[in-house]
Amino acid sequence: MNSLDKIYSKNPNIVFRKIANECILVPIRHKVSDLDSIYALNEVSARIWELIDGKRSVQEIKQIMLNEFEVSNQDLGSDLEGLLGNLVELGFIIPGS
Amino acid sequence: MWSWDLLFRVLKNTMDCRYFSEIKYSEFARAINSGIPNERIPIAGTLELTYRCNLRCIHCYCNQNPDDKGRREKELSATTIFNILDDIAERGCLMLLLTGGEPLLREDFFDIYIYAKKKGFLITFFTNATLVTPRIADFLKEWPPSKVEVTLYGISKNIYEKTTGVVGSFEQCVSGIKNLINNNIPLSLKTMVSNLNKDEVIKMREFAKGLKVDFRFDPLLHPRIDGSKAPCQYRITPKEAIEFELMNDNRLQGWKKFLEGAGDSEKLDSLYYCGAGRDSFSIDPFGKMSVCSSCLSPSYDLRQDSFAEIWDNFFPLILNGRYNKNFKCRECEIESFCTNCPGYSMLENSNPETVVDYLCEIAHLRKEAFDNIYKGGLDDKEKIFSASG
Repeated sequence: MNSLDKIYSKNPNIVFRKIANECILVPIRHKVSDLDSIYALNEVSARIWELIDGKRSVQEIKQIMLNEFEVSNQDLGSDLEGLLGNLVELGFIIPGS
Repeated sequence: MWSWDLLFRVLKNTMDCRYFSEIKYSEFARAINSGIPNERIPIAGTLELTYRCNLRCIHCYCNQNPDDKGRREKELSATTIFNILDDIAERGCLMLLLTGGEPLLREDFFDIYIYAKKKGFLITFFTNATLVTPRIADFLKEWPPSKVEVTLYGISKNIYEKTTGVVGSFEQCVSGIKNLINNNIPLSLKTMVSNLNKDEVIKMREFAKGLKVDFRFDPLLHPRIDGSKAPCQYRITPKEAIEFELMNDNRLQGWKKFLEGAGDSEKLDSLYYCGAGRDSFSIDPFGKMSVCSSCLSPSYDLRQDSFAEIWDNFFPLILNGRYNKNFKCRECEIESFCTNCPGYSMLENSNPETVVDYLCEIAHLRKEAFDNIYKGGLDDKEKIFSASG
């Protein structure tokens, strides 16, 4: 399957918080990443997190991002791949079909 | 003062991922506690779930009978607490302290705890550990708090139970601590130093060291929130308080750092000069919200007014209060050495601006001891001890 066709779901044991204009991910349950830490997202990552809903494909997320941010197709593709890879590694998102 | 924007930028700069930054909870907490923010966000909340406790500690400032049905019925319901948790999360609260009394006495404790976890709070949980069964430790392993802090009242059955007034409580506490350790729950131990347990503090510290957990102590007992001064009869002497302070390297270094920076810090003319009401708040078991758990007056009723209304409209009235120029503590030349504050003063004398003689005496001894430290070097403890006597 093309990586752009993939669909990701959020791990329900990760809570998104907005504190002092910062977007933060908080792991809340055993075996989810490092519970000693919180994770502060940058603006682009926060928007991508928001768009991950278990329904949109990576391609759809990419298209929305291209409309909203001044970024090249290539740079965004690379950022998306990097971020999603990191989030999967941490167990924050789960790859679906 | 610091800004939230700067705080996050500094914390993020220590990380190297370009998409997000991992921030250790301890680093975040340390940064928050380093001063007063320039923008009021209620980032740290204290929620006292009950004042009822299964122990009857002689020095406690709030404990009430565990079977007091009248009190229990007046406590906030779980549903009301859920609504409050929704509201404080909405306004940016991140660090939440669940405390008591003994919070585990509430039958709905786990409902409240899980609700708070699912809102994404970083929870610190204070308990005496006597009710921490293997089942409760298993639960906490599944839903880990940022930290559990357990108060030890002694390290021998005799002293522990002389303090708690409950036979068998020492074994229950040790068993509870063991259950937490066995489940790798983030744990630290602490004690309130009294004239009953002062000879066991070093052993308590060794006990914590053996368990590889942090240990801290507080020698400053204060009156009960109902006005009773009964706990004060168990205070150690000011000289003993300073000796305890000096034998704790962390505390000593903390004071040194604080005092070195004291001259540079901006002197506020407001009555409240800490984070109370600026980045923190406290809610008692009956829904009364105040800027600090020691300063219960003024307080506002969350059953009548929303959190937002109290935080936005009522707290600023408190924070706008200026200190009385005739209050000699604020002009005292050794103010930096003193831990008196509106909260402690309220508890001691029902007035936020009074001299607390006990703290005043300790401050003078602290000053004397530190003068000797700077003369003799930080490692010359023997000299410091004799100097402070």
